[in-house]
Amino acid sequence: MEYKVEAHRIMSISLGKIYNSRVQRGGIKLHKNLLVSLVLRSARQVYLSDYYAGVCLNAQHIEAKEWELMDADREKLIPASEAAQPSSADCGVSEAAQPGQTRTTGGAQLCLKRHVGAEDGRASRLQEKDGDSLDPSDVAVTSPVSPAISETQCGSSDCETDADAAVTEGDSRQPPKDHACSHRKRSAEETGVSETPVKRTKVTPNAIVANNEIEEGEEMDTSNVSNLITIFGSGFSGLLSKDSAKSESETDDSDSGSGQICCEQMLKNLNPWTTAIVAF
Amino acid sequence: MGEDSESPKINHSFLRDYVTEADVISTVEFNQTGDLLATGDRGGRVVIFQREPEDKGGREELGDAGEYNVYSTFQSHEPDFDYLKSLEIEEKINKIRWLPQQNAAHFLLSTNDKTIKLWKVSERDRRPEGYNLKDEEGRLKDISTVTSLQVPVLKPADLMVEVRPRRVFANGHTYHVNSISVNSDGETYLSADDLRINMWHLAITDRSFNIVDIKPANMEDLTEVITASEFHPKHCHLFVYSSSKGTLRLCDMRASALCDKHSKIFEEPEDPGNRSFFSEIISSVSDVKFSHSGRYLLTRDYLTTKVWDLNMEKGPIETYQVHDYLRSKLCSLYENDCIFDKFECVWNSTDSVIMTGTYNSFFRMFDREAGRGVTLEAWRESSKPRAVLRTRRVYTGGRRRRGDVGVDSLDFTKKILHMAWHPAENIIAIATTNNLYIFQDRVHPENQ
Repeated sequence: MEYKVEAHRIMSISLGKIYNSRVQRGGIKLHKNLLVSLVLRSARQVYLSDYYAGVCLNAQHIEAKEWELMDADREKLIPASEAAQPSSADCGVSEAAQPGQTRTTGGAQLCLKRHVGAEDGRASRLQEKDGDSLDPSDVAVTSPVSPAISETQCGSSDCETDADAAVTEGDSRQPPKDHACSHRKRSAEETGVSETPVKRTKVTPNAIVANNEIEEGEEMDTSNVSNLITIFGSGFSGLLSKDSAKSESETDDSDSGSGQICCEQMLKNLNPWTTAIVAF
Repeated sequence: MGEDSESPKINHSFLRDYVTEADVISTVEFNQTGDLLATGDRGGRVVIFQREPEDKGGREELGDAGEYNVYSTFQSHEPDFDYLKSLEIEEKINKIRWLPQQNAAHFLLSTNDKTIKLWKVSERDRRPEGYNLKDEEGRLKDISTVTSLQVPVLKPADLMVEVRPRRVFANGHTYHVNSISVNSDGETYLSADDLRINMWHLAITDRSFNIVDIKPANMEDLTEVITASEFHPKHCHLFVYSSSKGTLRLCDMRASALCDKHSKIFEEPEDPGNRSFFSEIISSVSDVKFSHSGRYLLTRDYLTTKVWDLNMEKGPIETYQVHDYLRSKLCSLYENDCIFDKFECVWNSTDSVIMTGTYNSFFRMFDREAGRGVTLEAWRESSKPRAVLRTRRVYTGGRRRRGDVGVDSLDFTKKILHMAWHPAENIIAIATTNNLYIFQDRVHPENQ
């Protein structure tokens, strides 16, 4: 449990650093933000592994079914594995923490990591423009931020639901991996939830990250919190729109508004962070 | 003269807050002969010190001979603004490198985050006198008063040091420039930012060659950045660059125009027992230096400094723990941003001793032959001019000696990041926050 508290604290600090780097003189330092995002990623993996370890206890029977789907999709994850190699060692750390759950959480972790490389692109791609001359400005602004965003995205997409939704996504490369992973996470999450499991699990990592920002918001004004949203900007809207697109596979439009409403509804059922998140 | 550090701390703790940001020294560099020492600060200024000529009479130990005094000061870079990206460009001098001297003037390269400038430092100790059309103050004479012609002659005058910008190498970098290195061919130099390395010709400012580009097609795939780069001291086709992942890549420019593919890669497999949240940060190499011989590489990461043999890629040949007692404090150091401090490391003239900085105004020297390290302090109150430096110790357990400093009483705001070693003699320049200390070894002034 100490891992979880420590990881949570480190995540908050890291997000604070990324936020502060925006207002630093001299522009965003790519090196420092890359390192901070790596720490954020490690902390998040440990945090989520703890979380899922606890939930997994009730969901092992569902996982067995999901493994088949996982194996089928495993090949698609391989190209992304290079990007996620540095964090493969983290698996060892987080796995060690839950020896009883090695099979399930290990798989989940592996999934999560392989994702990160794929997911990292999500936020920044939404903002990337053509031409190298503009790229750096985007990169300078978004790349330190997008790895951080990608953590949140990764987590939420991990909890994503349908394999069907993968087909509806325009991006052919990313979603299969997302959903392959997402099945694992979803199964880990399903513990007697009355609401649609999809939305609940999707929301939780969102809540985790959102809570970090809210914690900072408590120290700052809420205006700063909304600034934080603006900073993570299209990353978050991408997050929400993607979630809504996948959770409501019948509706193909990515509407950030509906995604938000979705979040809020689910959050109310979840945990005490509800009122804080509603501020988003 | 108390051995305890309490009383000086009480007296000076308030002074610490009075250091202006602009005065913080950000780079230190000797020229090739060691007669000139240049420092750059966060305010964009460069201060050049010159060594006083040694007294031939033999009173060197007591006199001022051999000491460094201010030679020239000039504003190298000004704060700038990138209007396209709405970003302020800091005027902080990141690196200074001297060019080999070719005539009476001295040349140095100084760089901030974006722009590299070539400065010419020249002396003028004579001025022409006896103009026909101008008077002593330079005012035009009334022609009717000129009755005879004279030839102007050069007369001795007060020494004046002139510093003029000769070249400005701008718009070469999108990211922050972290290193510059002059090639042994005397014509080119490289500049490295987070993702690219460019090679410039000293005479051409409107173009540069990109020789390394590690920017991925999608920035989301970014996993490492370039942290330092240097040309080989003897082979003009070789250079090395270090990364944030702790790897060193040696590149040969003869192999291809774009050296993305390295000739050799030096990396040490990570010790899985030491893994933590911060493993990646502390493995990031902050500085890399070729030995004078060109055979070895010296690198610095957060907790250690390592010597690598160019002939052996699988790991360093020597590893020195600089401040291993900080390993358990990485989380606090992450919170106060100290974990991102970029320490430099230097060789001595014979490559037998290496030196690097740490916190609390301490710096460490490692004797490679003996395999031992010593901790010294650069702090005004502890050392009077010409007093012998005392070795210091950080108490980490065992018998505590008088004068030992506990890990928790280390001052992390007093860090020694920048330093330089004279190319031929045992003279070192240590930059604390806003002070420059120059220590000379009078017992063994030159290495055998």
